Amino acid sequence: MSTQVHANLTREQVEQISADLDEPEWLTETRVEALEALDDLDMPDVIRTPGRDWTNLHALDFETLVDPLNAAEDKDRVSDEGIEVLEWSEALAEHGDLVEEHFASVVDPEENYLTALSTALFSAGTVIYVPEGVDAEDVKIRTQMNSRSLFNYTLVVTEESSSVTILERQSTGDDVEGERYYSGIVEVVAGENSRVQYGALQNLDEETYNYTLKRGHADTYATVDWIEGNIGSRLTKSSVETYLKGDSSETKTVGAFFGHDDQHIDIAARVWHQGEHTTADLVTRGVLDDQARSVYEGVQDVGTDAWDTSSYQRENTLMLSDESEADASPKLIINNHDTEASHSATVGQVDAQDLFYMTSRGVHPQVAKNMLVEGFFVPVLDEVDVDELRDDLEELVAERLRE
Amino acid sequence: MARLELSNLHAKVAEDDGEKILDGVDLEVFSGEIHALMGPNGSGKSTTAKVIAGHPAYEVTDGEVLLHLEEGDFGEDFEIAEDKRTWNLLELEPNERAALGIFLGFQYPAEIEGVTMTNFLRTALNAKLEEREELFEDDDAEDEAEEEDVGYETSPMEGNVDEGEVGVAEFQQLLQEKMEQLDMDSKFAQRYLNAGFSGGEKKQNEVLQAAILEPSIAVLDEIDSGLDIDRLQDVSKGINALRDEQGTGVLQITHYQRILDYVEPDHVHVMLDGKIAESGGPELAEKLEDEGYDWVREQVYETA
Amino acid sequence: MSSDQDHLKQTDTEKRFEFKKEESSAFKAEKGLTEETIRVISEDKDEPQWMLDRRLRALKQFHEMPMPDDWPGAPDLSEVDVDEIVPYIRPDVETRGGVDDWNDLPDEIKDTFDKLGIPEAEKNALSGVGAQYESEVVYQNMQERWEEKGVIFCDMDKAVREHPEILKEYFMTKAVPPSDNKFAALHGAIWSGGSFVYVPEDTTVDMPVQAYFRMNSDGMGQFEHTLIIAEENSEVHYIEGCSAPKYSEFNLHSGGVEVFVKENAHVQYSTVQNWSKNTYNLNTKRAIAEENATMEWVSGSMGSKATMLYPSTILKGRGATDNHITIAFAGEGQNIDTGAKVYHNAPDTKSTIESKSISKDGGRTNYRGLVHISDGAENSSTSVECDALMFDNESTSDTMPYMEIQESKVDVAHEATVGKIGDEDVFYLQSRGLDDDDAKQMIVAGFIEPITEELPIEYAVELNRLIELEMEGSLG
Repeated sequence: MSTQVHANLTREQVEQISADLDEPEWLTETRVEALEALDDLDMPDVIRTPGRDWTNLHALDFETLVDPLNAAEDKDRVSDEGIEVLEWSEALAEHGDLVEEHFASVVDPEENYLTALSTALFSAGTVIYVPEGVDAEDVKIRTQMNSRSLFNYTLVVTEESSSVTILERQSTGDDVEGERYYSGIVEVVAGENSRVQYGALQNLDEETYNYTLKRGHADTYATVDWIEGNIGSRLTKSSVETYLKGDSSETKTVGAFFGHDDQHIDIAARVWHQGEHTTADLVTRGVLDDQARSVYEGVQDVGTDAWDTSSYQRENTLMLSDESEADASPKLIINNHDTEASHSATVGQVDAQDLFYMTSRGVHPQVAKNMLVEGFFVPVLDEVDVDELRDDLEELVAERLRE
Repeated sequence: MARLELSNLHAKVAEDDGEKILDGVDLEVFSGEIHALMGPNGSGKSTTAKVIAGHPAYEVTDGEVLLHLEEGDFGEDFEIAEDKRTWNLLELEPNERAALGIFLGFQYPAEIEGVTMTNFLRTALNAKLEEREELFEDDDAEDEAEEEDVGYETSPMEGNVDEGEVGVAEFQQLLQEKMEQLDMDSKFAQRYLNAGFSGGEKKQNEVLQAAILEPSIAVLDEIDSGLDIDRLQDVSKGINALRDEQGTGVLQITHYQRILDYVEPDHVHVMLDGKIAESGGPELAEKLEDEGYDWVREQVYETA
Repeated sequence: MSSDQDHLKQTDTEKRFEFKKEESSAFKAEKGLTEETIRVISEDKDEPQWMLDRRLRALKQFHEMPMPDDWPGAPDLSEVDVDEIVPYIRPDVETRGGVDDWNDLPDEIKDTFDKLGIPEAEKNALSGVGAQYESEVVYQNMQERWEEKGVIFCDMDKAVREHPEILKEYFMTKAVPPSDNKFAALHGAIWSGGSFVYVPEDTTVDMPVQAYFRMNSDGMGQFEHTLIIAEENSEVHYIEGCSAPKYSEFNLHSGGVEVFVKENAHVQYSTVQNWSKNTYNLNTKRAIAEENATMEWVSGSMGSKATMLYPSTILKGRGATDNHITIAFAGEGQNIDTGAKVYHNAPDTKSTIESKSISKDGGRTNYRGLVHISDGAENSSTSVECDALMFDNESTSDTMPYMEIQESKVDVAHEATVGKIGDEDVFYLQSRGLDDDDAKQMIVAGFIEPITEELPIEYAVELNRLIELEMEGSLG
């Protein structure tokens, strides 16, 4: 990699961040190694077709975006009975072994340039620990970004037969002018027969570049479900991924995005079927207005040992403007024939007949169009089990339509 | 006259530590007879049917399934040598069993997209005739038969005109006759095998296939489930015709007395815990309808 | 058994292969693919200067371009050593490369011919032995019948000499320029053989034009170029290799096909590819469809070690239509990477892509497709359907579609499924008397039926036979 981010990034800064958080030595080392690896790492993969890169990450100017020692945020963590939702230094103090065991076990810090950057620099960390047999709801993490750059890290560990619903929201405060960079890494370790539902609603301001990687490992009979809403940011590169490692594990990903102006939203939903009798369902719907551009990649990867796999994927994009562009690539990679897999993708516009029908009943065309857009999101919203997230998403969609 | 003989048949699910399902079934069905096999869920009725046809999901651990044939069972022109009159079905592939005249009417027939009924049934009929030749010819002649190479001359979807004993035209006529007998819409012939058929249409189709393939012994697994009364009558008519016109022996597995009003059984058997617990005449079925299976159970365990 | 190996021994070509292996590095170091080689080819073909110039320009581009890596995850081409093929494209070697006697063909290929029921004369023609008289006759008949209407059908070498004005305008200028990719550049430098079809305005060629007519043309090789021009309101169906499962002892085939479908014209281009299992088959096929024109690609890929074939259509005129039908069957050791590319560059354009793939015995199939709808191509619609059937757990099947949609007034739909041959289905058919092989064959035939029913009957028959052979071979 030839990006010169490390020109204003030093080992001292990384050690400073680590020391401020009272981190143990192993973690400081991991951070420093990630920093040193930057030179050799590539940007995350983007989709390429002959002659085109669908997202150009190389154009990101990290030099001006990253401000490692001045991270600032407002964080609000809401916990539930019987479980622990801990900020980073607290987690290290109370559950040092747990963190050491699971940190970087799902996402390799040196997977790509941006994960390494995030690992080296993250200043905000959260650990959600759900002990065996505990059922928890309403865990909430709200992050308001108040600095030029913010690197966030979240670890979720659920023990056997526990369950948790987590709702995460990112937004930006008003006190910084100009472009910003938000980076978030989420690792979910779902123990046997446990259930994690992780909802995220990203509504960063539209000068913010956003890189997010959320990945879960599902043990036997475990379920990892994701809800992923993307409304804000200037550019988003986000991937939501599940490794179905245990037999009979499951995942469901529900995604919704709404791009306008010149937003660029590059999202991916990926699943690796590795155990037997695993099931995946990936559902995404998005709307594009103005010059917005969406890039969607769906991957259903069925491993050689993944007998009796069921895997489904649906993606639908609605284009409201002629200036927008919708690119999609739903992929099936099947290495075990004992598989039932399908995917479908559509791109279209608001149905003219529907619009006519509604306007002929006296509804104003703009109102009718808005109703149809809201209606378009209903099938994914119906899949969102977290009421609060659904309401918020609905509201943000409605808000954007009224702009 | 053909005779299917099950003796001391034991079978389990073909897995390590697979569940034991059949625990010594004894049963004899002659061609021309109608047997009803009844019993509560899980007693082993469907497994019996599948084992007779050779379903790979079950493993026979003990006992025999024999088919006894006589001269003339496959028509006057077909010679059945002395030493080829008794067959151990358990040693044969499902298609070889079919060639010997065993037919299984499935409870849940498979749906095969892209293969028309006509093409499938003609292929099956010719395959049966060809396989039968092979099974009965002198062992010396066997090598020669395998040399034969076939290729399609017409549309691959319709098969080869020159292939097999029954040509396209002849078959069309046969199919049409049989479909009329069963009161089936002729459009079925061009539809894909069971694809998108209703439950009732599938069952009707199973009986049609039996009528075309002219088995010696037909095992019909819950052929009467999910049928409305009109279709039940059509299906029953078809089953009676199998016996009356082709001399087929029928082993009919059913939950309900209802079909027995239209297809009167010569023998009724009650299966319980993997064995035949009670056998009798048609009156047995009526008693089961009125009193359920509990008395059979009591009787069996008293004697034991 | 290794029939390739036997073949080498029988035909004494082994020594030449050995020679090649030993000498190639030295050869490469000293010469590689040089201008001199190109001059020899051109001279041997008695070509005009302009064609030589184009070859040399393409050669220069070839040397400058990198190996194509546009498609992530595409078959590994690292084994393809372009310089190794050089000896084969020199005319003297090329003729030597042919098989001199029917009996020298490997059994595998002979079996295929036999089972296909191809007549002896045709067999000989296909194997490149004699029988040129027969095909000459057919060819002549064809010529006379259409000549008066202005239809031109001849081999490319002749076209270069006799129709320079048309060729100068269309030959690798508009559809597949050498600058397109490294293999297109290579093709532009060393192309040899192929067919030229020209159908004038308002003319319907109502019988399929079959490529085996050109069997007698000299220099039919691994780099043939096909150019089809269908003028306004004309119609033609071109069949390539339909009953010609070609055998090649070369290990690289890189054909080029250019099709121009003018206003309101209709071209169908059908291929059945059954190359021997040691061939890398890398083609560039492209059509440009003008207003209200219709382009149809039908491709069956059975043979080769690795195939990369993505026929592409540029829908340039308003109301133009493209249909793609693709069938791929990958057995042991095969990597069949096929798909389609469609560029909607005008309003009211329409495309459909149907792909069926079957993989067994460790074969790999991959559907790779691109649908691009440009800004302004309003009221365009595209529908893509990919289905894959897998036999066993050694095989793999990937589906990788790409959609780039820059226009909102469109209707875009993509669907894909993957399934296996179900045990219950096989048992059901077996219980009716079909043996295991026949049962599976029937399921496969059913799987591709929605496609075969749309094909011309000869083509469907051909395809089914090849699939049967393929299955027979591996089922023992």
